[in-house]
Amino acid sequence: MNHGPLLFFGVFFALTVSWFGLVIAPHLQFGQQEMVVIEETGQSYPPARPGEARQGAEVYHANGCQYCHTQQVRPRSTGADLARGWGKRRTVARDYLRDQPVMLGSVRLGPDLANLGARETNAHTLLLKLYNPRIIIPGSTMPRYPYLFEPRRLKPGATPSPDALALPPAFAPGPNLEVVPRPEALALVAYLESLKAEPLFFEVFPSASTNASSAR
Amino acid sequence: MALFLFAACWLVVGAGLSTLASIKLHAPGLFASCPSLTYGRVQPAAWNALVFGFAIPVGLGVALWITARLSGTMLLGGRGIVIATVFWNLGLVIGLLGILAGDSTGVESLELPLYASPILFVAYAAVAVWGPVTFSLRRTPEVYIAQWYLLGALFLFPWLYGAASLMTVVAPLRGVLQAAAQAWFLHNLLTVWLGFVGLGTLFYFIPKLTANSVQNRNLAIFGFWTLALFGGLGALQRCHGGPFPAWMLSLGVVGSVLTAFPLLAVLMNLVPVLRGGGGTARAGVTLKFVTVALAFYGLAGFVTVANSFTFLRRTTQFTLFNVALDQMTLLGFFTLAMLGALYEIAPCLVRTPWPAPRWVKLHFAVATLAAVVIAVAFGAGGVVQGLAINDATLPYFAVVKRYLPFAATGTLAWLLVLVGALLLALNFARLVAVHCRQTCIPALKGWFRAESVPSEVKA
Repeated sequence: MNHGPLLFFGVFFALTVSWFGLVIAPHLQFGQQEMVVIEETGQSYPPARPGEARQGAEVYHANGCQYCHTQQVRPRSTGADLARGWGKRRTVARDYLRDQPVMLGSVRLGPDLANLGARETNAHTLLLKLYNPRIIIPGSTMPRYPYLFEPRRLKPGATPSPDALALPPAFAPGPNLEVVPRPEALALVAYLESLKAEPLFFEVFPSASTNASSAR
Repeated sequence: MALFLFAACWLVVGAGLSTLASIKLHAPGLFASCPSLTYGRVQPAAWNALVFGFAIPVGLGVALWITARLSGTMLLGGRGIVIATVFWNLGLVIGLLGILAGDSTGVESLELPLYASPILFVAYAAVAVWGPVTFSLRRTPEVYIAQWYLLGALFLFPWLYGAASLMTVVAPLRGVLQAAAQAWFLHNLLTVWLGFVGLGTLFYFIPKLTANSVQNRNLAIFGFWTLALFGGLGALQRCHGGPFPAWMLSLGVVGSVLTAFPLLAVLMNLVPVLRGGGGTARAGVTLKFVTVALAFYGLAGFVTVANSFTFLRRTTQFTLFNVALDQMTLLGFFTLAMLGALYEIAPCLVRTPWPAPRWVKLHFAVATLAAVVIAVAFGAGGVVQGLAINDATLPYFAVVKRYLPFAATGTLAWLLVLVGALLLALNFARLVAVHCRQTCIPALKGWFRAESVPSEVKA
């Protein structure tokens, strides 16, 4: 009896079954999905991100934001995401067509960010939050990202840089110092502001049931 | 041997990084100004160190040893394996430094950058190929169940890692299909690969140490094939509520429920063996390790099946609960099985007993406690967190405050893992030192003498 080939092909076959079921079949079903034109605005969705926001996506995954923040809104039947105001509708496959890599996230140590750009429109608040989250939420457990910012010496009498953060006195680094965001911080905020999965199209009209399949 | 040595070191590194990541959960200010040590980089580095540094090499080592043992032959490829192991570890160091430097691929559980993963792939192939080669030259007529599981695992990984890397990193699929491929990889790795290696080890050691035989061979083989077939199908339970068509998520539930078959098959086969051997058992620490490992396997298996249903999953999704479940498999089932095997195999390899047998017992206590603490703390914490998330009236920071004590307990567990890993590494170092004193130094002396004699003659 020689079990070697049986094992080899058997294991390969078993793995292929799940590969086919989970990856290839969905690929055949909606791998060719295209942008959709939103009737009200005439724009195609999802929109291409501006270059700065695309760089921001790289800052996002280089610093591992997705290990604490998801970017997906569950339908009403499987969680309270919609009731929390994390989105106007569930997220569907089409929302992520332009993302590379797709960063859905798997643990919510912090809130979901799928619609952060719609929720928090003030870029300066986001910059403050990145510099030190405790400025916005005292006691926050989110890490600080001071390395995305640059402290600069301010000559007495000189006007501060227009980009400098308006820090509360308790968080300011000292007299004659201003904190200016580096390009990475600005790119990251541009990316965060671009996170909007709100437009409605045929897959996600609320009347078509929140459970509707995202395919087709 | 080299595999084990490196693996022990990586367990220390992995545990150290995990401790750091865990501390940072409740003390976010720690090392905040050092970009390489931010939580989002330390966390994936820790996971990769544990999986690619400890779990896979130690699994490979145990698999090759048991395969050779049961085939009644010597393991072939000795020097090649050592060289490939060095390359594997080199690739991993490069990859982890890459992650800490911010070069992660951004695909969860496949973070190792593209300049590192091919090294790992080739090194794996160069090590694993000697398993089937040794097997094909076996001198025993019978093929043991343990060999089925272990060879299955050896064959599985290249397909798994290759296909998943290809579809998520090298030539990524569009949109959320990447996420499906990533879930497929992670789930197969944890359920099927770790399952095969861990169960193969249990199927070898439990009958051997209790001096009983496995009752039903056909049942074991049924368990093997059902695990191979259904283990991966459950992957999409990880994406519950995610942006996928409903049928994909349903398939995840179906696949998970079907994994109850291999689970029951394994338990029905191994539990009677353990029971029956109570009196005659060679009560060693290895038996304790593998028994607890089997208990964790059963527990994790049942919870996984239950957790795939919406009524539980709507609470546990995106919480620490699922982290607890993965760690029950990795730290509970797999690591304990491997440690048991390691403590049995290493002295055989160098023909020297462990220099500090008490540390072995201590490590057993510490490792078990760590796995229990993380399972309980994160499991309970996950439920608390999930209930709080689904209470829309609570602001998110209130949710954080509720789960934080549980997350902080995780630090304790990781500290225990770290202590255990240090015990293992130090014991290992002493074992190697003793071994060297006994064999290498006389050999070296003999070699020098042989070298120096001709030169003296010349003079």
